[in-house]
Amino acid sequence: MSNAVIEKNPHVTIDPAKIKGDSKRKMTIGEIIAFILLICITFTMIFPVIFMVSTALKTSKEMLQFPPTIIPNVFAWENFKTLFTNDEIKFGILYKNSIIVAVVSVIGTVFSSALVAYGFSRYRAKGKKIMFMLMISTMMLPYPAVMIPQFILFSNLGWMNTFLPLIVPTFLGSAYQIFLLRQFFMSLPNELYDSGKIDGCSEFRLFWKIAIPLSGPALATVAIFTFIWTWNDLLGPVLYLSSQEKFTLPVGLAAMMSSKFRIAPYNLLMCASIMTTLPIIAIFASAQKHFTEGIVLTGIK
Amino acid sequence: MKQAKKKLLLLPSLILVFVLILSACGGNSKGSSGDGDKGSGPVTITYYTIDSPDRTYVEKLIPDFESTHPNIKVKVEKAPYEQFDSKLQANVAAKNAPDLTSHFGYGGFAEYYNKGLLSDLTDIMKEDGFKASDYGIQDELMDIYKVDGKTYGIPFSNYVTIMLYNKDMFDKAGVPYPTSDYEDKTWTFDKMVEVADKLTVRDDDLEKSQYGVDFGWGEFDMRPAYLGVKVYSDDTWTNGGKPSETYFDSPEAIAAYEKFMGLIWDKKVSPPPAWSKSVSGQFGDPFLSGKIGMSIVGSWGLASQDQYNFKVGVAAVPYSGTDAPRSVLYVDPLFVLKDSKHPKEAYEFIKFLISKDVQEKSIELSGGTPPINDQAKDKYYNSFAGVDPKEIKNVYDGANKYGVESFNHLVANYSQINELFINEFAAAQNNTKPVPEVMQGIQKKLDKLLERVNK
Repeated sequence: MSNAVIEKNPHVTIDPAKIKGDSKRKMTIGEIIAFILLICITFTMIFPVIFMVSTALKTSKEMLQFPPTIIPNVFAWENFKTLFTNDEIKFGILYKNSIIVAVVSVIGTVFSSALVAYGFSRYRAKGKKIMFMLMISTMMLPYPAVMIPQFILFSNLGWMNTFLPLIVPTFLGSAYQIFLLRQFFMSLPNELYDSGKIDGCSEFRLFWKIAIPLSGPALATVAIFTFIWTWNDLLGPVLYLSSQEKFTLPVGLAAMMSSKFRIAPYNLLMCASIMTTLPIIAIFASAQKHFTEGIVLTGIK
Repeated sequence: MKQAKKKLLLLPSLILVFVLILSACGGNSKGSSGDGDKGSGPVTITYYTIDSPDRTYVEKLIPDFESTHPNIKVKVEKAPYEQFDSKLQANVAAKNAPDLTSHFGYGGFAEYYNKGLLSDLTDIMKEDGFKASDYGIQDELMDIYKVDGKTYGIPFSNYVTIMLYNKDMFDKAGVPYPTSDYEDKTWTFDKMVEVADKLTVRDDDLEKSQYGVDFGWGEFDMRPAYLGVKVYSDDTWTNGGKPSETYFDSPEAIAAYEKFMGLIWDKKVSPPPAWSKSVSGQFGDPFLSGKIGMSIVGSWGLASQDQYNFKVGVAAVPYSGTDAPRSVLYVDPLFVLKDSKHPKEAYEFIKFLISKDVQEKSIELSGGTPPINDQAKDKYYNSFAGVDPKEIKNVYDGANKYGVESFNHLVANYSQINELFINEFAAAQNNTKPVPEVMQGIQKKLDKLLERVNK
């Protein structure tokens, strides 16, 4: 009751006894402001997504209208159908190729990086530090610097227009992911390995049965990063793939707007963009709980 | 110690895994590449192009070609526009260059020529008895890609600069349409400003405001040429596109740029860049939103006209009052690259692409690529529903008669020059710096740039 009075009349003198109520009132105003601010920020962040969906459902004439409509006059659901049936876009094939490349790259990167990171975190060897520094320093090389030599190498191997140049390197580890996993493996207590050894585990089994199962969050992070990077990679596929049957989604999307001479089919492009972002959203949503799970603690007891 | 031993065991097994992966992959790829390159079987040539429907239509012509040329197979390689140059670069470096391509990316003819990428086709053509007239190619257009009398490229498409106008806007304002006749010398720049003024609605409300004209005649460095002002020294055209001098801060050039910027800030009949941006949204051209009366653009603007929300007409670029060129030509040639192992077969494919029937077919398949072959042009003029074919013909004839090839094909290192212009010229476009000051700045930076790249 008294709270309500205070809220209605901000000029009321405050009784120290009611200080609790007063602080509560201030909180709500602050909260309201924060809430409004959050709504505004959310809207600015989400607006491109709304506009993407809206453009995806427009006919090609409405797409060019000024001022642009947010809610399409006619919902052109057939855009999605066109996307999959159009012979020039071949969206189904693009999708399949992207999934193959991304999934194999994730498997390759997670497995190889984990193995190397495990080695770096568990064993002592001469020159280990230098080797580690060398590996880390490869992160500093920008892709264009290695692009041409790599291209020449793969071209001489006869790997042009296959997925191999995109997939095989992922089985050779990635410096950044190795670094990430090494930091995580170092935090695993030695007691775990010791108990494993007492039970007669081989070195590989220590890695496979103890380190890997305990590294859910770290491996999920690596997997998600790798997935997003390969899913979005454009330059690699552009360089190595040359036939429509092998193209991945980013190449297809770039091709859709690469005409200098005609208006790009932005409505179809937006349909394609929606379809392209879906797997990323899905994977992120399903893997999110792995980020927060504290397996390490439950592992020791 | 025990640990180390176990580690040693791990290594060979890892190596084994990789060897297995590599060998499995290696076997896989052998089937897909390197077929038919040697021996007496058919020869394979590669055509490299941009991955967009108005370029990849070539794929649909290949079955025809292969049936009439059983000893030649054509493979098409493609890349999106933005990545076209890097992919070509990588391929050339890996000695894997395509046989046939054009300057489809950012670089122009001069760049290819200066890097020594192009084959001299003169001998092959002489041997074959090539006559431009057999393929309906005008001699002036054939000469564009000759250096010292040697042919390095054979034109296959003939884009020009035209004026598109919004018929609905003219009707609404009760203004007569502009002429398509280049010989009508009453259609001048000043007349255009007059007409544009009648079409312009100056209003702070974006929805109500509209502008009369958008003068996009070539890239920024090209514009003074329209007023007869020289900005590159004459030796540029005989020197592989390397100018010994440029004159962007000459009083004439500054006056020219002031005249064009005056359309925006003095006469207020052209849109300021900020307005254009907010009105055109993702499409990059305010004309498409129906907010511009007349737009000077490349003739590719015609290709999408059936998608516009208004009726469109074509007109001549106004007479500037001098003998200066009035239209920028964008004649795309086909090149045979120097590393090509089968230049003769590639040349055969070029001849096929510029023959009358194929050029006619290409118009339809590409959705409006203007043919170089005069015999196929009628078909082109008639392929835009709602636009009078006679007007298109007038505009093309006039443009080719009074036109000049776009500098972006002929000046070396053009992408860097263009980038410099886009960055520096923005100040003049936005009226934040006076034109003379901007041009002096550009001239200084350009001198440095050219000194560095044209050594």
